[in-house]
Amino acid sequence: MGFIESIFDYILGLGAEVFVPGLMIAIGLIVGMKFREAFNAGIILGVAFIGMNLVIGFMLDALTPAAQDLAEMTGIDLTAVDGGWTTAATLSWAWPYAFLMFPIQLIINGIMLFFNWTKTLNVDLWNVWGKIFTAVAITGVTGNLYIALVGASVIVVVELLLSDLNQPSIEKVTGIPGVTVSHGMNILTVTLMPIDWVLRRFKFFNKKMDANALREKIGVFAENNVMGFIIGILLGFAAGYSIADALILAMQAAAALTLFPMIAKLFMEALSPLSEAINEFMKKRFKGREMYIGLDWPILAGSSEVWVAIILTVPFTLLLAFILPGNAVLPFAGILNIGLAVPALIVTSGNLLRMMVLSISATPVFLYVSTYFTDIITDLARTTNAVALEEGQRLTWSTVEYPVFRFILTELGSFTLIGIGMVVAWILLFLFYRQQMTKRNEEFKAEVEEVA
Amino acid sequence: MKKVIVACGSGVATSQTVASKVKKILEENKIKADVSAVDIKSLDKYVKTSDVYISITKNTKEFNIPTLNGIAFLTGMGIEEETKKLLDLLK
Repeated sequence: MGFIESIFDYILGLGAEVFVPGLMIAIGLIVGMKFREAFNAGIILGVAFIGMNLVIGFMLDALTPAAQDLAEMTGIDLTAVDGGWTTAATLSWAWPYAFLMFPIQLIINGIMLFFNWTKTLNVDLWNVWGKIFTAVAITGVTGNLYIALVGASVIVVVELLLSDLNQPSIEKVTGIPGVTVSHGMNILTVTLMPIDWVLRRFKFFNKKMDANALREKIGVFAENNVMGFIIGILLGFAAGYSIADALILAMQAAAALTLFPMIAKLFMEALSPLSEAINEFMKKRFKGREMYIGLDWPILAGSSEVWVAIILTVPFTLLLAFILPGNAVLPFAGILNIGLAVPALIVTSGNLLRMMVLSISATPVFLYVSTYFTDIITDLARTTNAVALEEGQRLTWSTVEYPVFRFILTELGSFTLIGIGMVVAWILLFLFYRQQMTKRNEEFKAEVEEVA
Repeated sequence: MKKVIVACGSGVATSQTVASKVKKILEENKIKADVSAVDIKSLDKYVKTSDVYISITKNTKEFNIPTLNGIAFLTGMGIEEETKKLLDLLK
């Protein structure tokens, strides 16, 4: 055993940028990719790690001193820098057990389809990383790998059940039959539904707003370069920088936000031949069956309500980050809270006003869960060598998707009373959600029949 | 060289999946074109310098370049039809 362990340690010691591509090439060859393709994809994956490491390092070097100055001047300690979901995804893929999640998702989905427990085939293999991240968080809290894998499996199941329930709503938004969104972010719908249920009782909250017109006006703020610049300059002034220094910080922040997606797409480029091979395999297995195809959230990105809600929530996020006691997160790369606006869109059936109320009231939860996960994310960066951190630098993700359920799983994984209590409450909420959505789906069906 | 763009929520995952697939199809048909994944938030900027837009969302806006259905490339349903349209546009 000692020998095998030392080989394992040696390989892991090479760091994520060598270890993960090696693994990827091996898996690619096993699933029948040509050597040239697998080798090419593997190296791109290594490039993605090194690229993300550079940008994250650049971001931390620019923002951490400003956050420290801010803390010294005002006593507001926001030194956990938000690297956004691209950073969280990078660290997740760097986790040594990350690739285990592919077979786990496929087997669970296969079993559930076989027994008719779901109608959704989740072909969105990119977002396997969200389950990896969940497993990492649970391991970070409990120290137990098996509990972590069980927790991640629970996410796979819940995602599929919600994909089924949400399908008619999603078809209504996208206009595409037979397609649903299987992204885990929609787990938050379960927590948002009761708030929306109350809001719906008031006439005021049923007003319609013209989201398209608003999006035309404020859409520019959602562009990465503009958003980065604005946050940078605000932070510079808050930290007491001179105008010159604040402008430099603003431009550096704009650069970091613009570069993140440019580099992160290399991950997808590397993984897409593999995910295509797996998808072909799954589709062949379940050919001729009536199924929903589970896709990533951007099929909803044409909805103006989503973008307007996201942009209008930004100032509240910044303000709350400053004033909430105990918050350590400096919102930055993850500030556009897609994982809040998309579930809000589904729950409210696209009512912008209610989406805003839901977004603002849930923002503190995101900040606190993000603060809670900071040490785990920072430790993962250190242990996987995926990101080089200097003394005093801390990393987090301000908009951790489905924060409530992730927190519950980490608590449940440690078998605390709070965890057990919360999971019971969550299951009751899920049943309420199911009842509400089933009713709504029947109404949709009746509408369609009326038109026909 | 003609330029094809695919947009998604952040220009990272879904758009890159479609872009990779389209690149492969074009290679197989020996057609040279520049295919890139872009951020839907900056779409207006990209449309100005592109020849074809592959969309994965319901469009709220009309663009002055041909728009194809990207969902076909994602799910495989109707992919032959969209591929034919794309090849015709790039010939």
